[in-house]
Amino acid sequence: MTITAGIDVGSGAVKAVVISADGEDHRILSSTASRIRRRDIRSVVEEVFTTAAAGAEIETIDYVATTGEGEDVPFATGHFYGMTTHARGGLFLEPEARAVLDVGALHSRAVLMNEQGKVLSYKMTSQCASGSGQFLENIARYLGVSQAEIGELSLAADDPEKVSSICAVLAETDVINMVSRGISTENILRGIHESMALRFARLLRSIGASGAVLVTGGLASDAGLLAAIQDALDEDDRVAGTLRVAGHPLSIFAGAIGAAIWGAFRYEKTDLGGAAWKATTPTTQASSSAT
Amino acid sequence: MSARSDVVDWALECYHDLDFGVVHGWLEEESGRTAAGYLPVYAPREIIHACGMLPVGIYGGGDQLEIIRGDAFYQSYICHLPRSVVELAQSGRLDFLSAMLFPSTCDVIRNLSGMWQLLFPEQYVRYLDLPHQRNTELGGAFWERELRTLLKDLGEVSGRTATEEDLKRSIGVYREVRHLILELYRVRREEPWLVPTEELYLLMRAAEVVPPETFLEQGRAYLEAVHAEPGRRRDNSRVVIVGAFCEQPPLGLIKTIERAGCYIVDDDFLVGNRLLEQDVPTDGDPVRALADTFIRHASKTSILYEPDPAGKRHLMAERVAAAGADGVIFAAPSFCDPALLDRPMLRAGAEAEGIPCIAFKYSENSGQFQQFREQAGTFSDAIKLWGGT
Repeated sequence: MTITAGIDVGSGAVKAVVISADGEDHRILSSTASRIRRRDIRSVVEEVFTTAAAGAEIETIDYVATTGEGEDVPFATGHFYGMTTHARGGLFLEPEARAVLDVGALHSRAVLMNEQGKVLSYKMTSQCASGSGQFLENIARYLGVSQAEIGELSLAADDPEKVSSICAVLAETDVINMVSRGISTENILRGIHESMALRFARLLRSIGASGAVLVTGGLASDAGLLAAIQDALDEDDRVAGTLRVAGHPLSIFAGAIGAAIWGAFRYEKTDLGGAAWKATTPTTQASSSAT
Repeated sequence: MSARSDVVDWALECYHDLDFGVVHGWLEEESGRTAAGYLPVYAPREIIHACGMLPVGIYGGGDQLEIIRGDAFYQSYICHLPRSVVELAQSGRLDFLSAMLFPSTCDVIRNLSGMWQLLFPEQYVRYLDLPHQRNTELGGAFWERELRTLLKDLGEVSGRTATEEDLKRSIGVYREVRHLILELYRVRREEPWLVPTEELYLLMRAAEVVPPETFLEQGRAYLEAVHAEPGRRRDNSRVVIVGAFCEQPPLGLIKTIERAGCYIVDDDFLVGNRLLEQDVPTDGDPVRALADTFIRHASKTSILYEPDPAGKRHLMAERVAAAGADGVIFAAPSFCDPALLDRPMLRAGAEAEGIPCIAFKYSENSGQFQQFREQAGTFSDAIKLWGGT
């Protein structure tokens, strides 16, 4: 049995999982996430990894795989690109999925994959931040609601207000105007979700997605956003009825899970000279065990 | 500070210094010293050194120099290097040079030699017409005559006529330089986690502007230090970079490729420093030996004519096998005729052998690396997980 860790260093949070792999049988032993806020990323990565390793109650980790912005994690064995890991992690969480929609703090991307998790096509949102989690978080802060409340409030909307889908700055101005006009928080949030959903529907359409789509990344647990994406797809005649938007309680860990699974694959295929991490080894010294 | 970081910091300082402080330092150490510049790709540094001059590789201003005057000399569809070199010269940064050599890398550099003669009439300027007839009777005799002329001319410029012994000594020094470079490349190829390409590249760049003796000292100290401070092996793919032999990629691009998960286990950065694949003999006539070694043992590159039509088709497979690489990244400067005209043939040859390839273009002043990161990262993943398909 191979024990591997996956660390997904995002622009807003660091996520880590430890898994066991026995052939194609992968089991999650522990998972941890922490917001970066204004902390030093290296210390957040160490903290998250250490917590995940402790939670897994294992002695050694054979392969530490990073993804996202984690190229420079000093104790990593290998790094995988974000699309590769989200595709594999998405497939693990939702075996029927043939596409993932990764909605992160700064970027969003749709990835088409085959039944093995191989990336076949992808599209990213452009530079504009209005398709990102950071934008939604900013709006929530202006409205005085926590991130955890956004989804439920959005689902309770009865008359959503349209928001600019072009530009984060214009969208923020829209929201300020709505607040001054007395539009309810529920309807504002739903309007923002619908605006983002239109963009995501375009992304999914452009990669030729069909069947199940797993939403991953930081906004994957936002039930309001998932509902808005499903509605946007259902209202689009070109894809109506062909796409099912799915979520999973561990969707936020999809990148880390994918990295860990690919790490196990590589560990079994490649002689890397032993374990990457041992329970008694601080992460800063873990390098010596794999050289 | 470790011995390794001392050397890397020294090399980085040389790399960033567009005022050529190390060259000025060397020139000021002793009165009467002179320096000769040369453009990429290959110049016979032994000849320059034998005349008591410091050979100085001129590679433009990279991503640190804003081009204002240089753009006036070239059309927009010409690569970045010549305009950057003109900018350096027009700003007075190359005033310390007593001579400038322009190897026949491409027609842009040939034309630059003409411009130089008009712009800097006080400098000795020579266009080095590298022989493409790879036989001793024609190409060899021609190149030998060129080298003798150069040796005589530079002797007059420096005020020190090189003797046969001077040239043999210089050939010996550059043999050591080449051996050290090949050793650094060997370690990088066999244990790439010990010698990151970023560091190797900085050392190679420093070697272009410092006296060879200084490079030997620093390079050996580095080599010793990498074994004393072993880096961590990572599960990266192994790639060969092809096409970056003239205008150099920005350091950030090299770092980006390795950070994205690709160990660069062979490359053609600054390939002139190891163009000769065999040692130049020091018995017999040294000028003839230098010419003959070029004719017989210059490595195959896009700047030299390849008479065998199939020769370049097999080149990538040979290089990939020699480096134990998984794939090839064709990285060429925008508008680089030698690299981009060869690319289709080289790539077709590589793909016919089932070697995974990607290709992109850069400029020496490229500042955004996200697209390169994405390409290199997905390429590395494809190699590691799907065999490059």
